[in-house]
Amino acid sequence: MHRLAIIPAVLVLLGGVAVAQHHHGKVAPAPEPFTASPAFAADGTLWLVRPKAGRILVTKSNDLGRSFSTPVVVTPERMNLDWGPDARARIAVDPKGGLIVTFAIFQDSNFNGRAFFARSHDNGATFTRPRPITPEATSQRFETAAIDPGGRVFAAWIDKRHAAKAHAARLAYPGAALAFAWENGDGGFGDTSIALDNTCECCRLGVAFQGSGRPAIAFRNIFPGSVRDHAVLTFRDPGTPGPLRRVSTDDWRIDACPHHGPTIAIAADGSQHVAWFTDGAVRKGLFYARADNADTAFEAPRALSPPERQPSRPYLLEAHGALHLAWKEFDGDKVVVRWQKSADAGRSWSAARTVAETSDASDHPMLVADGTRTYLSWLTEAEGYRLIPLEDRP
Amino acid sequence: MRLSTILAALLTTVSIWSAQAETRPFGRGSWEKLRAAHAGQATVIHFWGLTCGPCLVELPEWGKLKAARPDLHLVLVAADPLPQDPERLEATLARAGLAGSESWSFTDRFYERLRYEIDPSWAGELPRTVMIDPAGRSTVLPGVADLVQIRAWLDAQPKSPSSYAN
Repeated sequence: MHRLAIIPAVLVLLGGVAVAQHHHGKVAPAPEPFTASPAFAADGTLWLVRPKAGRILVTKSNDLGRSFSTPVVVTPERMNLDWGPDARARIAVDPKGGLIVTFAIFQDSNFNGRAFFARSHDNGATFTRPRPITPEATSQRFETAAIDPGGRVFAAWIDKRHAAKAHAARLAYPGAALAFAWENGDGGFGDTSIALDNTCECCRLGVAFQGSGRPAIAFRNIFPGSVRDHAVLTFRDPGTPGPLRRVSTDDWRIDACPHHGPTIAIAADGSQHVAWFTDGAVRKGLFYARADNADTAFEAPRALSPPERQPSRPYLLEAHGALHLAWKEFDGDKVVVRWQKSADAGRSWSAARTVAETSDASDHPMLVADGTRTYLSWLTEAEGYRLIPLEDRP
Repeated sequence: MRLSTILAALLTTVSIWSAQAETRPFGRGSWEKLRAAHAGQATVIHFWGLTCGPCLVELPEWGKLKAARPDLHLVLVAADPLPQDPERLEATLARAGLAGSESWSFTDRFYERLRYEIDPSWAGELPRTVMIDPAGRSTVLPGVADLVQIRAWLDAQPKSPSSYAN
């Protein structure tokens, strides 16, 4: 009798606690990244990497995203994955069909990261145990691996080793550093080099290739006076980053994290194309600019959309002789992905068109191309993952 | 016997929770509610985030200002791009001397909509401070706020008895 009276009381209390948790939004676990990154293999297989419940999963589709294989787990243990809004697990396919997956974890509650990579040489059936991209452990984030035209894997990331040294010596060090390494056979990545100090510490990088062994990195730099405007570094050779070229003087003075990095593409004629977000004194919103080649200055920026439409997350891709540019914006009700195309190396562009929309949370829009077409790759809360062809024929 | 021990533990836990200043979930429609609740009152709304380094450096300054200025009606909104653990948010506010302040936290990942409701041209950068006078006029201070400016704004507000009520 006594016991029977207590049990319902406990249940009521537990129920009450659950309601209180819901009411006060007390949903404790760490935020989970919400991303899906694609890559096409030469045989038309679409590879997709997604974080889920502290693990990195890789899956593939042989029917352009209509169905996917059972996911293969890249990370044997649960990890504290980097959930920053510009962070993302990525996948790339080398010319031999080998896969490389990159991702980062948080090492602590101060957003110090550790970037890892894993390889598969059996068509994604198994992956090597994830290994750090660099032996130096201070902090790496926003790692981006890309395959150069010669088939070599290049990785760039934001690194805090110099910042930590400076802080230990009580010296000022705004931001972090832009670091890079090349894959060195099966032994992993070779020596890490710092390409540039004092870059923005919280924004994704854009990587494209000017040719074999010549990466071009677009990034948010910190110019004197805490101005977080964009720049491009184009390598002269695999070990030598060229001079910093400012993409635009937006004069965004901010001692904070924009969490909003740029995108870069390089056309067949060697022209460079960058799109970025700024909230500067000179201009606000999403912009695009081109440069004739890796040595010339960037031309005047072109606004992609009015700032009150919250234009964000631009993505540029060169494919099949054309440039494609996508971004998302909010129309007051839905998030829409806008797309435009240039057939003349960015001198003129088609009118922007809405190619997808959603009414809930969404990942950044990404562009990806197979042997014949270009697609929007987009993960949304309401619709799930979608691969959307951007035109019937190129 | 064991059940009553569990019951006692549960009761203790529940009472600890209810004693804390609760961070309220900020979702679709919350901005309108927040504005309505402070209508006619000079209010400073400070958007910050656990994921924003400069915000964490700045937060104790707000704690000091709050202690020095009883006429400051401060509302804190954690606007991290991903919902954060409310207990970590509350602990961070408490360390900054802001335990008793009205606190909200983004709990919806559709943050484009949340930001649109607050200010369509706000792309989400933190910190950000919005001062709203009794007539409902907003002044936005993007980035780390100049507290001298906040003090001057407070000084310029009409001193009604209700401004000292809380």
